[in-house]
Amino acid sequence: MNRRQFLTRSGTVLLGGAGLALGGCRSNPQAQVLTNQNDMVGTRAAGAETFKPLIEGAVGNLLARQGHGVQQAGLNVPQAGKRICFVGIENKSAEDLGDSKEQLREIIDTRINQSGAFLAISPKFVQAGLRETRLKADDLFLPANRRTFLAIMEQQGQPFDYLLFATLTSGTTQGNGEHQRDYLLTMELVDIQSGQADKESATIRKGYYDRHVSKWMHK
Amino acid sequence: MSRRVPFALFVLCLSAGCSTHATRLVEVRTAYFDGDVAGARAKIETSLKKHPREADVLKLDQATVFLSDDKPREAEKLLREVRDRFDHLEQKSLAEGALAMLTDDQALAYAGEDYEKVLVRAFLALSNLMSDGQDAEAFALQVGEKQRQIVESGKAPDGKNPKESYKLVPVGAYLHAALREQTHVNYDDAARSLEQVCQWAPDCRQARQDLERVRGGHHSARGNGVLYVFTLVGRGPYKEERAEIPTQAALLIADRILSMTAKHSLPPTVAPVKVPRVVVPANEVQSVRVAVDGRGWGQTETVTDVGRLATEQADALMPYVIARAVARRVVKKGTVYTVKEALPSQAGGAVMEIGLDIAGVVWEATEAADTRCWGLLPEKIQVLRVELPAGEHQLALEPVGVHGGAQGPAQTATVRVEDGRNAYVLAGFPTGRLAGKVVCGQGR
Repeated sequence: MNRRQFLTRSGTVLLGGAGLALGGCRSNPQAQVLTNQNDMVGTRAAGAETFKPLIEGAVGNLLARQGHGVQQAGLNVPQAGKRICFVGIENKSAEDLGDSKEQLREIIDTRINQSGAFLAISPKFVQAGLRETRLKADDLFLPANRRTFLAIMEQQGQPFDYLLFATLTSGTTQGNGEHQRDYLLTMELVDIQSGQADKESATIRKGYYDRHVSKWMHK
Repeated sequence: MSRRVPFALFVLCLSAGCSTHATRLVEVRTAYFDGDVAGARAKIETSLKKHPREADVLKLDQATVFLSDDKPREAEKLLREVRDRFDHLEQKSLAEGALAMLTDDQALAYAGEDYEKVLVRAFLALSNLMSDGQDAEAFALQVGEKQRQIVESGKAPDGKNPKESYKLVPVGAYLHAALREQTHVNYDDAARSLEQVCQWAPDCRQARQDLERVRGGHHSARGNGVLYVFTLVGRGPYKEERAEIPTQAALLIADRILSMTAKHSLPPTVAPVKVPRVVVPANEVQSVRVAVDGRGWGQTETVTDVGRLATEQADALMPYVIARAVARRVVKKGTVYTVKEALPSQAGGAVMEIGLDIAGVVWEATEAADTRCWGLLPEKIQVLRVELPAGEHQLALEPVGVHGGAQGPAQTATVRVEDGRNAYVLAGFPTGRLAGKVVCGQGR
């Protein structure tokens, strides 16, 4: 091997080695705080981009309507004092909510308290009341169970005027390499005295595509 | 210059592993399975100092020992550390990959087998339940999330996904159901998770009973609470080195690897290559009989068969493991051939050629299979749910064999059950002897 060959081969080995070492390094995970208004869009299931507007639509409209009714009946007396016992969200959709469920509950609670007309009972009291009575959310639709639950909550110093139930459902339409899923959040407010219920829903349609082409065609 | 080439090859072949993790693991397993938790810990600590490249798997073993020894916080800390490192190591390093082609797979940083990546999260959930339980639900959810991610990432360039056949780990979903049911609000979540458990572990009667209850019943009667007895039963899987004849499928994959990286073609015949094989020892303990205050409540039932999981996953990926070993063999042979070509044909060339052949043989012979693994896993994770009146109770756990015969003395512990809440117990019976202690936790 002459000197030129030696230098060429050595150079190739050195450069190749350096390239491998640099190009083949593992990088550290990256993250950033999202400061713009847009949430990331879940590609396989619903996420913040779906749930936030659903809550805004269903809870916002229901509380606005009920709050208005309450104020009219009360002859314009400020009504910050009607207490809502939010029992929880029942997920009947095709997707599991994972860690989103507890957060949705907190958002709804906060939304109730921000309404100005209603106050939400702390979820911890609601949970303790249900544990004490061993009642499920569905059981509370029976008047006798409702009275038992109310009695326990009163004992805890947490009387309430309304029960609030949330149900998330979904409907799926299959296409070729794509599907559409309609998410529906239904809020049901039950007056504990009269047993009368008021309902409000919000819906969002979402398309899931296996290929970029499908997504582009639906734009 | 030319005289240094065989020497360089000789050094390179020595850098390939001669002893493997499997040989070092034997002592640790023996001590732990004999109930000598302190001895196992000491051996792991010694190995950690001597073999830093095996630190992650040794830390997993250390965490298992801590958990058995009623030190769940220490166990959790280690498990978190390894979980994060495995996640980081999922990225491929080209430099390491190239080195592994010249030595063996032990040159790669160990990123964990797929079942280990999932089980580390399941053990995190269990460890957390044995301490304050604040993060147990998050860990339980991570079990499912990781499984989905692993299966989705398994798609090969040819469109095939060997990971689609993976058996899934139900224990995460089971823990999630137990925690959600305890809220007395989220029975729907509990039912959803239990449906998954029933689908993934159809033989688990306990899960079927639980599903029936959450659909139509209640967590517990008023004045009662629930005790979940989790047991880690039997000696779990480990890896051994085996010489395997490459299968047709493996040769096809190896050919693809080579054609992707260089213009080599696969030689027509390939000798056996060394690969790791998952081994599950025969276990005498099959279950644990549970008695509370002298009354028998039944036996724990399998919610995750770790041995089967590990074996089936290893089988699914075996063609790829063999293929990598074949490709490495070809690269080594090719390197020796290239060096021979580069040598000047002069007097003494024949001697040099023989020297290179010998170096090549040694280079291949010193190659060892990567047998790094989580060595102290149980063969099965089992559970029994018992509804009890609130208060203190005396618990007795007795390891039993296939026909229900006692395999060792019953172990006792005092447990406290609160009204409307869950309490948890964890005990390891790798053999008829309890490993460590019966660990009790209140969760949240």
